[in-house]
Order: sequence, then C-alpha cells, then structure tokens
Amino acid sequence: MSELALDLLLMLPALLLLAAVFLLPLLRAAWLSLHASSVVTGLVAVPNGGANWRRLLGDERFLQDAWQTLRFAGVSVALELLLGLALALLLHRPSRGRGALRALVLLPWALPTTVMALGWRWILNDPHGPFNALLSRLGLPTYGFLTTPATTWLATVMADVWKTTPFVALLLLAGLQSIPADLVEALKLEGAGRLTILRRLTLPLLAPWIGLALLFRLAQALGVFDLIQVLTGGGPAGSTESLAVYAYRQALRFLDFGYGSTVLMATFALLLLPGLAWLLLQNRLPRRNA
Amino acid sequence: MRLLALLWSLGPLLWQLHTSLLPPEALVGQGPAGAAAWTLANYRLVLAGDPPLWRSLLNSALVGGGTTALTLLLALPCAYALQRRRGPLAWGVGAALLAAALFPTVLLFLGLLELARTFHLGNNLAALCLPYTALALPLAILLLRAAIADLPPELEDAARLEGMGLGMRVRAVLLPLLAPALASTAILTFLFSWNEYPIALTWISRVDRLTLPTAMARLAGSSVFTVPYGAFAAATVLGSLPLLLLVLVAQRWIVRGLTQGAVKG
Repeated sequence: MSELALDLLLMLPALLLLAAVFLLPLLRAAWLSLHASSVVTGLVAVPNGGANWRRLLGDERFLQDAWQTLRFAGVSVALELLLGLALALLLHRPSRGRGALRALVLLPWALPTTVMALGWRWILNDPHGPFNALLSRLGLPTYGFLTTPATTWLATVMADVWKTTPFVALLLLAGLQSIPADLVEALKLEGAGRLTILRRLTLPLLAPWIGLALLFRLAQALGVFDLIQVLTGGGPAGSTESLAVYAYRQALRFLDFGYGSTVLMATFALLLLPGLAWLLLQNRLPRRNA
Repeated sequence: MRLLALLWSLGPLLWQLHTSLLPPEALVGQGPAGAAAWTLANYRLVLAGDPPLWRSLLNSALVGGGTTALTLLLALPCAYALQRRRGPLAWGVGAALLAAALFPTVLLFLGLLELARTFHLGNNLAALCLPYTALALPLAILLLRAAIADLPPELEDAARLEGMGLGMRVRAVLLPLLAPALASTAILTFLFSWNEYPIALTWISRVDRLTLPTAMARLAGSSVFTVPYGAFAAATVLGSLPLLLLVLVAQRWIVRGLTQGAVKG
C-alpha cells in the first residue's frame, strides 16, 4: 500500500464521523430553512420558497434576540479578555504555590455550566441569597436580581465572565511563557518600567494569543445556550434570550423545525463575521512584520 | 491580588458547599442562614431522590469514559497521518479542524436530533458517545498533531531502518513518547463530555438515563419559589467533586495540552 493510501485510510474514520456530525446537520438545517416543517405540515418538509427567511427579517423577537446576543457576546468577551490578561500576568509571576493557585483559579472553567448556573440562581436569590442577606443585615430592602431585565442581564454577563475568564487566562499564560525572559531583562536594563515593558514587548508578542482567545470566545459567546437556558430561561420577558435559545424554542417547544433551522442558519451567518475578521487580520499581520 | 483572584474563583463554590450542609429549615428561615449546625441531610435527599443523583453521575462517567476512549482511538491515527502529509489537502483538513474546534456545538442540535430519530439512537448512552466523540475530535487531533510534530523525526526513521513495521513503531516509539499529550487530550475530552448539555438535552428523555448537566437542569426546571436549594447545592457539590479532583491532580497536563494546541493551532 502506498504512503498516501495508508494516510488516507488512517484519517478516514475520524473524518467520516466529523462529516456526519458537523456537515450533515448544517446541510440539513440549510435545506430545512427553505421548507415548512411543523405540526401544521405534520412534520413533513414542504418547500415554501424562502418564506422562512422573509418571516425572519420581519420577526421582531429574532431581531431583538440578535441584538441581545451581540451585546452579550461583545461585553462579556471584552471583560474576559481584560480580566484574563490581568489573571495571566498574575499567574505568570513566580511565587510559592503557583501550581496550586493555577489549579484553583482554573476550577470555574472546568465545572459544568448548568451546575454553576443553578449556583448563581441561589446566590442571587431573593431574599435568601448572600447578597440579599447582606442587604437585609444592613437594614436595606432586599432586591430581586433576577426579576428586572437590567440586573438579570448583568447576572448572565457576570456568570459567563466568572466561568470563562480562567480559560482566557490559560491561553494568554501560554503566550506569556513563550516570550523569552532575556528580552524582558534587556528592556529592564535599559531602564524600562513595567508599563513600558507591557506595552512595547508583552502585548505585541501576545497579539496572536489574544487573537485566538478572542476568536474562540466570540464564537462560543455568540452561540450561548446552556447558561441562559438554566440561569434565566431567556427571561424576564425575553430580555436575556439568545439566538440559540430562540432556535431551540422554535424547534422543540413550538415544533417548528423549518423556522428553527432558519434561526440556526442566521446564527451561523453571524458567526462567520468574527471568522472573516480573523482571516483579514491574519493576512495583515505578517505584512506588518515584514 | 492573589487572594482576590482566589476569592473570586472559589467564593461561589464555597457558598454552594456551605449551603449544601445547612438543614432545609435554615435556608428559608428569617435572614441569613448562617448560624445553623451543618448536616448531611441534603446529600441523603439527592442520593435517595427519584432518579437518585448517583445514577446521573454514573451515566456521565460512562459516557465520559466511552467518549474519551473512542476519541483517542480515532484522533491518534488521524493526527499521525495528517502530520506526515504536506500540501493543500493537509492544510485544508487542518483549517477545517480548527474551524470545527471553534464552532459552538449548539447549532448542530436540530440535525443531530433528526439523526437520532432516524437511527433510533435516542436514550442510548453508548450512542451518545458518537456525537460527543465527533465534537471532541477536532481539538484532540490538533493537540496530538502538535505533539507528534514535536517528536524528533530521526527517531521514527531509525526505527524504520531497524525493520520495525508501523504497528511496532507505534507501540515502541510513538505511544510512550506521546503519553503526556495523550493524557492532556484525554482530560480535556472528558471535561467536555462531562459538561455537555444541549445534545444530551435533546437525545436523552428517560430520567434514569440523564447525564449530570441534564439532571441538574431538570431540577432547575421547577419553579424558582419551590426549588429545594439545599438539595440543589448538594447536587452541585457532588457533580463538581469528580472534576475538582481531576483538575487538582491534572492541572499541569491541562495547561500543557492547551498551551501546545495554542502554539501550533
């Protein structure tokens, strides 16, 4: 057997499974988005000539959810990058018990989102959670954090930041470890302060890692599902609903597979934005270095 | 600063632990539930529940184990072959794998649900390992490819000159040298599988087959006002404990695994 044939054979099982699980559902959703398939049609797919897509553009709930998803992703990813960078710098500094500190700080990322979403519901509980217990001990009225849109939204952002900042920090820590220590020493000998070193050396060399973390987090945050579904259920009054939660509702609560697929495909299109931005950036960076 | 980071990361977890040990009356009593004596009542409650929580823990462990084994089995040959190839095919596959690794898996749930219906894979924990493996594969292949690329190429050439066949080379040369990378890939795969929610939510409906995330979310489905938070907290503690141990023991491998993938990806 030739080398090429052997290599293809070795890759085939993995690639077949990947095609079945990634490509088939995506193609199926694209196809279904051009069909009516709901309880009305007896869950049989009937072509409806783009009616789903026309409905999507006039669907205020979809437009609201799209805006909410973008806002959630933008704000939480920005916070995660800032805090993640600070955390990475902290974890990079040599100290006693650094390994243990890294492991403990990593914990929130490792736990199931659904588990901690429940935890947050209890922590924000009115009147028994610790925040409200503190308020009432201070003689102030308790507050239903998960009953008004603004504070519920803040709670979703906080829970997301809490869980994924360690992941960002870990990626950036990997970047920090790849920066040669003698470069830092050389700048120090020239009398550069810590801020100067951060701005002139660390951040430029960290740029590819920041880019990777940004790309990964944006893609995941635009598809946010577990956290919203369990922490708020999309409420109050749909104010925290994300596109993925909406698509799930359309398909499994209203049994409208055609329209659910359309919402999924629209979310997919939204995801292509950071991907394209990344490609553009990739093409620009080497030229600047040259 | 270190203290602040620790407090931020562990505070919510410690609060869950504290809550889980309080008697139910103390949770809904007046004011802060601070003074009551600790008890294991909540743990007895969830472990004796219907279905008992240990059932979902066991289900999650089985799916996690199956997924991890299958992922390594499929990822290693693929990574090995991919690393040997040059040219547009290998580049294309690598780029597609990176895109798949970044992809939020929730967007696949509808198509996967239909696959499960067509082939009668619902409520089957062994079948659940298939989509889980596929979802874990992109990252696993990229990590292993990076690890294989780090091995000195002379090593395999020397083994080949000694007359070792592919199988022998894999067993005697590749596997021992790749052990750390295999360990970190296995841990990351297990973590993913233990935590996955949307696909388990759509594939599993029988309560005795629920995995941990779905069992937890089912608890949450009840009204906010009647939710037994003590039992809840006990469930979160029990569900987190295996991961806690895993992360504490394997921290070094997790960091190294992600580091390697990031450098080469």
